[in-house]
Amino acid sequence: MPAVSVEHLSKSYGDTVAVRDVNFEVEKGEVFALLGPNGAGKTTTVEILEGFRDRTGGRVETLGVDPADHSTQRWLRTRIGVVLQELAVEPYYSVRQVLTRNAGYYPNPRPVDEVIDLIGLTEKRDDRIKRLSGGQQRRLDVGLGIIGNPDLLFLDEPTTGLDPSGRRETWDLIRLLAAAGTTVLLTTHYMDEVEALADRVAVLFGQEIVASGSPTSIAGRDLGAVTIRFRLPEGVSMDSLPVPAEPSGDGLVEIHTEDELQVLHDLTGWALAGRHALQGLSVLRVSLEDIYLGLTEGAGPRRGNGSDVQQEVRP
Amino acid sequence: MSATELPVKGSFRGVGDLRLVARQVRFEQLSFWLNPIGAVLTIGFSVVFIVIFLSTSGHSTVGYLAHINLGQYYLPAFAAYGIMAACFNILAITMVNRREMGLLKRLRLSPLPTWMLLAAIFINSMIIAVIQIVLMLLVGRFGYNVHGPQDIPAFVLVVVVGMLSFTALGVGVSTLVPNADAAGPVVSLVFFILVALSGLYFPVKPGSGLSTFTNFFPIRHLIVACVDSFNGIPGASIWNDVLVMALWGVGGVIVSLRRWEWSPKRG
Repeated sequence: MPAVSVEHLSKSYGDTVAVRDVNFEVEKGEVFALLGPNGAGKTTTVEILEGFRDRTGGRVETLGVDPADHSTQRWLRTRIGVVLQELAVEPYYSVRQVLTRNAGYYPNPRPVDEVIDLIGLTEKRDDRIKRLSGGQQRRLDVGLGIIGNPDLLFLDEPTTGLDPSGRRETWDLIRLLAAAGTTVLLTTHYMDEVEALADRVAVLFGQEIVASGSPTSIAGRDLGAVTIRFRLPEGVSMDSLPVPAEPSGDGLVEIHTEDELQVLHDLTGWALAGRHALQGLSVLRVSLEDIYLGLTEGAGPRRGNGSDVQQEVRP
Repeated sequence: MSATELPVKGSFRGVGDLRLVARQVRFEQLSFWLNPIGAVLTIGFSVVFIVIFLSTSGHSTVGYLAHINLGQYYLPAFAAYGIMAACFNILAITMVNRREMGLLKRLRLSPLPTWMLLAAIFINSMIIAVIQIVLMLLVGRFGYNVHGPQDIPAFVLVVVVGMLSFTALGVGVSTLVPNADAAGPVVSLVFFILVALSGLYFPVKPGSGLSTFTNFFPIRHLIVACVDSFNGIPGASIWNDVLVMALWGVGGVIVSLRRWEWSPKRG
C-alpha cells in the first residue's frame, strides 16, 4: 500500500479550478517533490491530502484512509506531520514550551529535547519564540512538524527564508528522517532542493501534472543532448579538432552532441595523441531548472546549454 | 504505520480527552500570563476603573433601583464589564490574530480535536473573567464596604450565561473581522461605545430612549442582571435579561458555524 494515492483528483472553488485530474502515488519511505509555479495547485493538493480541505472529485488515500473521512481524521493526524508554508508559532512561548505542548497531542511523540537538538536550537531552547530570528522560527516550524514522530511528513516550502547553512541543516534532517523510514511529500521552488532530496518529482502546471519521474530523468532529462566544453589548446585552431565545435563566447569552445561517449572518446584520444591539454573540460546535461521552465512556460523543455531534450509525456 | 495497526475511528476517547482539555487550558493560561503587559492591562483595567469609580461615587444613590448606593451599582456593572472584556472583546481579537497568524490552521492539522481547542479557549476566557470578578468583589468589599451578591444563585446564573453568550458572540464577531489590523479597532470601538451607552459608567433609567435603544443589545441586559442580582433588588427579575443574552449567544453560535475559517482571510 502506498503512503499516498491520488487518482483523478479535482478541486474547484465555484468556477475557479484549483486542480484537475491529478494522479500520483508516493511510496512508503520515499521523498516525493511537487514542483510548480505559484497558483499551480501544489498547496491545494497537499491540503487535501492532509484532510484540511475537501476535494471536489477523485479518490485520495493518505496512509490508507480517506483524509476527508471525519471518523478517522483524528487518527490520521497522529500519523502525519505538517510544516506549513508560512510561520505559525505563538510568540510568547519558549521553544521548549511550544514543543512540549504539541508533543502532548500525539500518542508516541519524539522526546522534546531530541527534536530541539535535531533542529539546531539547543542554545535557544528556553528563549521566547519572538526573540528567534526568522530562520530559527522556520526551524522550529520544522520541529513542530516532526514532534509527533510522523509516518508521513508534509513539507510546504520548508526552507524558504533560511540561510544557506540553515537550508543544508534542514536537508540533512529530511535525509535523516527519510533514512529512518519517514515518507516525505515536499513542495518547493528550489531545484537544487529537489535534486538533493527527492526520489521522485512531479511538476504541476495549469492545475494538472505535466511531468513526473526521478529528478535525473524527468521529461527525458537523461536522454537529451549534452554540451562538452573546454579551453582550446594553445596553437590549435578550431578546424583541427576531431569533432565540429563552436566558440562559446567566454573563451571556451563547445560541442553539442547526443553521442557524448563517442565524442569524448574521439576528443580525448586526439588530445592524448597530440599531447594537448583540455583545460576546463566539462560535460553538461540539461538542468532540472531548464526542464522545469520549459514545462511551465508551455514551450517544452528549454535547451540546456545549447541542447534540445525530449518532451516528457503526461503520466 | 505498522502493518497490523488499523485506523482508530471517532474523536472522543473518554477521560483521557478531558485531561487533554485541562492540559490545553494550562497552556492557554501560560500563553496569557507570558504576555505580562497584556495580562496586567486586561486584569488591571477593570480593577483600576472600579477603584476610580468607587472612590468618586461618594454617597450618591440610584433612585430607580431602590435607592442603592452608587458603589453598589458600579461594582456589579464592572463585574459585567469584566465578563464582556474577557469573553467578548479580548477573545474576539485573539481569535482573529490566531487565525491570521496561521495558528488555528496549525492546530487544525494537529490531532487536537476542534472541540478540545475551543473548549480550552472558552475555559481560559472564563478563568480570566472570574479572576477579574473576584478581584473586584474583594476590592469592593474590603476597600469600599460594598456588599454582595445578595442573591447568589441568580448572580452566578447571570455570570455563567453571560460568559457563555459573550464567548459565542466573541467567536462569531471574530469571523466577521477580515484581518488582524482591523481586529482591535473594529471590536473595541463597537464594544466600548455600547458598553458606555448601556450603563457601565452611569445608570441608565429604564424607559428612557437610551435604554430602549440599548435594550436591543445583550450588553445592557448583562449589566442590569448583574446589578439586580448583586443587590437583590425587590421585584426585579433576571429571566428576561438571561433570555435575551441566551438568544444573542445562539446567534453568535450560528454566525460562528456559518462563517468559521481555519485559514487566514488576509482581507
